[in-house]
Amino acid sequence: MEQQKIISLAATNVIRERSEKGQLVQFEEMLAELKRQDLLKSEIADQRSYLRAVLEQAFEENEDLKEISDKDETPHYYSTQSLSEIYARIIILREENPLLLLAQIIRENSAIYPRPVPLDIFRESPFDLTPEEISECLKNMREGKEYQDIAQTTTSIGTIFLYSNRHLEPDYASMLAEWFDVGQANNP
Amino acid sequence: MAKIGGWVGKILRVDLSTGKISTENTIEKYKDYLGGTGIGYKVIWDEVPIGTKPFDPANKIIFSVGPLAGTGAPCNGRTAVTTLWPTCWPKPLVASGHMGGHFAAELKYAGYDGIVIEGKADHPVWLSIIDGQVQIRDARHLWGQGIRRTTIEIARQLGPETSVAAIGQAGENLVPMSVVMNSFSHSAGGVGAIMGSKNLKAIGVHGTGSVYIAGNKEEWEKIIKLHLSLLGASNQNVVPNKPQPWAEYYAAGSRWVASEGRRWGAADPAIETGACDPHHLNRIAYRTNNAAFFLGEGAWRYTVRGNGCTACPIRCHTMLKVPSVVSKYGIPEIGQNTCLGLLFGRLFFKPPPEGPKGQAAIEACMVGMALADDFGVWCNYGQMQRDFVKLYYNDTIKSKLDDKEFKSYSWEKYEKDDPSFLFELIPRIARKEGELGTALGLGTGYLLERWGIPEEEWMKDDSLWYWKMGHPKHHSNDDAGQCGVIVNTQYNRDSQCHSHPNFTRNGLPIDVQKRLAAEIWGSPDAVDAVGAFTPMNIYKAKMAKWSVLRKELHDSLSLCNWMGPWVASPLKERGYRGEDSIESLLYSLATGNKKSCQEMDQVAERIFLLHRALTIRDMGTKEMRTRHDTIPEWVFKDSSDKAPFTKGTIRMDKDDMKIAMEMYYEEMGWDKKTGAPTSVTYQRLGLGKVADELNKKGLLP
Repeated sequence: MEQQKIISLAATNVIRERSEKGQLVQFEEMLAELKRQDLLKSEIADQRSYLRAVLEQAFEENEDLKEISDKDETPHYYSTQSLSEIYARIIILREENPLLLLAQIIRENSAIYPRPVPLDIFRESPFDLTPEEISECLKNMREGKEYQDIAQTTTSIGTIFLYSNRHLEPDYASMLAEWFDVGQANNP
Repeated sequence: MAKIGGWVGKILRVDLSTGKISTENTIEKYKDYLGGTGIGYKVIWDEVPIGTKPFDPANKIIFSVGPLAGTGAPCNGRTAVTTLWPTCWPKPLVASGHMGGHFAAELKYAGYDGIVIEGKADHPVWLSIIDGQVQIRDARHLWGQGIRRTTIEIARQLGPETSVAAIGQAGENLVPMSVVMNSFSHSAGGVGAIMGSKNLKAIGVHGTGSVYIAGNKEEWEKIIKLHLSLLGASNQNVVPNKPQPWAEYYAAGSRWVASEGRRWGAADPAIETGACDPHHLNRIAYRTNNAAFFLGEGAWRYTVRGNGCTACPIRCHTMLKVPSVVSKYGIPEIGQNTCLGLLFGRLFFKPPPEGPKGQAAIEACMVGMALADDFGVWCNYGQMQRDFVKLYYNDTIKSKLDDKEFKSYSWEKYEKDDPSFLFELIPRIARKEGELGTALGLGTGYLLERWGIPEEEWMKDDSLWYWKMGHPKHHSNDDAGQCGVIVNTQYNRDSQCHSHPNFTRNGLPIDVQKRLAAEIWGSPDAVDAVGAFTPMNIYKAKMAKWSVLRKELHDSLSLCNWMGPWVASPLKERGYRGEDSIESLLYSLATGNKKSCQEMDQVAERIFLLHRALTIRDMGTKEMRTRHDTIPEWVFKDSSDKAPFTKGTIRMDKDDMKIAMEMYYEEMGWDKKTGAPTSVTYQRLGLGKVADELNKKGLLP
């Protein structure tokens, strides 16, 4: 097998294996990993350019391979065989912009399911935000002009849910929150 | 002629009055009714005289399973128990209870597709069934014992692999709100007292036989793999409850609660569920933890593992180990159950200050399970508890009990949500002790009648979820708008139908649900988002018909309608489609009798039509629409007075529901004015003789 194909296969495997662990792969990590595997020979003059070309080819040949960029336009790679687009987005945004992450998640849930989101979900994996971070996000949402659509409702057992009033009317959001928090469990 | 598979070929008949034990050929007599409820309804129609009361020796109780029980088909552990229902008010009518566990498989392996129990023994007995050897045995030493001790005693005699279905003191004392229970926690509600009325304490069954698969074995394995791949978590929730690496969608209310970091904390060593990618079929059992779902996050640390029924990888019975309850309440530290079994204790109390999901809920759960699952008390889908809370807090209980009896209860404990209060209440229900114990054990309809409370009061109060005939709603307009309402009008107890909620609650976005709905029921308009209901249309009527027929099909094949149907799946590559034909594919290969999906639905329709005919015959009226298929007033109310079909309400519209019922009747081939099936429909489904008999009584439209 020609060297380029070997490297392409190895890169694909690295992306898929990392995705199975719920992780993204950055370009520099990929470069380091392939060097560690002794696949990028020193005689390749411009290893970065070479690897970019190999990856481009690998992405063309494997539909499951995707990339997502962070705010610095750095690409992160993943395989949709085991890691979804939304999960990749959560991983990127939780590091660089939790506020935007919360807003996106709340709006998406309100729009597509439709349903409000329990606040507590953001304390758990993959969000893993601390109570302080969440409080900060909520404060910024209240104050930020671009987040005025984000609202909250509290169920009869005290659970806070968040929703976007672009997609859910307040009464509807309250009813849905009660249904998901109390109604479903009491109606098994 | 090729050998027929699936069925093992014999129905066991046991006449407890005479001691006669006989068998009949399943295929010859019951093939057109499959098994389970199909056999149950057929026996009641053919053999139980009109006017028979539930506890009369002339009533029969039928434990029956279908051709898929005991095979490798997933979720085949259900046994249908059919009889005249003692809590059906004001007049007992036919109904069925369903227990999981391993009784169904053991019955098949012992050589039987069903047991018809007739007559009444002159002293307490139990039935021993070992590989075709059947004995009626003396149970006088077991009478008065709880389910747990009875089970252990019989298993000690017959061997540890024996499945024992036993009644507790509630069943012995003819308490209508009683269960039969196998394997300590798998119960069928409402039938314990029927066994008690026959002096039948228990049935112990064990077999070493097998179920013959008539079709191509490779095809069979392929279909099993397909079916497994379509499974979600409990109740066919097909998305996880929070984002997972593999998941495109998630739903906070999903019963798919596994994820990295979640541990069965009471296992030794603790076991992590992992992320449970749906393609990893050996991880299906880790997806569900119903204790965590119903009792809160705290339940994880008490979780030993998931338990469940034959050939079911979902394991919806969560086993809990809570050491503190041993010293605190003197009960076993281990308990297991699912759904209402887990909620049994907690629902007697108003939610504690910490909320309905916390340590208090877990302890109430353990106490409730320890008592109810031993005394054999039934909750009627939580109606007993809702009645109790309402009747206590509106002072009815105080007014109906004499002072001595009222003071004999520790109400201060009750008001403080102290689970030890249940030690005062549940045994008295099981023993019919005092006015309160006796009244609660009757079931809602007879309780209301005894205490002079008009049923209409219960039908107006949406917090009670009461529907009709002594029973509550079971997934009605809250889950599926008009479809849910229609389904809830159809039975003589709570509907127990999960065909519709297992679709509407699957967790997928509404656009995906609508795409799937269009494929199954002909239009995306068959389903609405919860709380955003739209006026009735014909596709909703088709979904309602499908829901009822799939329930009957599952109850007759021995597939679990609590987990199925499987028309959605967790598989992105299938566009989240499931397989609407999975039942017919499994049936055809198991039995060798090839039937299409439509042909199987027709068999299910025949079975349900017989249920309808029995209801009409025993009610003595064809006016089903006005006298049976009724809808409680709360369905048409909203606490904020929101109008029907506005977002944020489950309120239905009366005129729209009239249209809905007519569309449904038309889909079923029933008369729109009366709701009674027409002669043509009986003929079409092979029940011409049933139509003739009804015609003689003036019960055809």
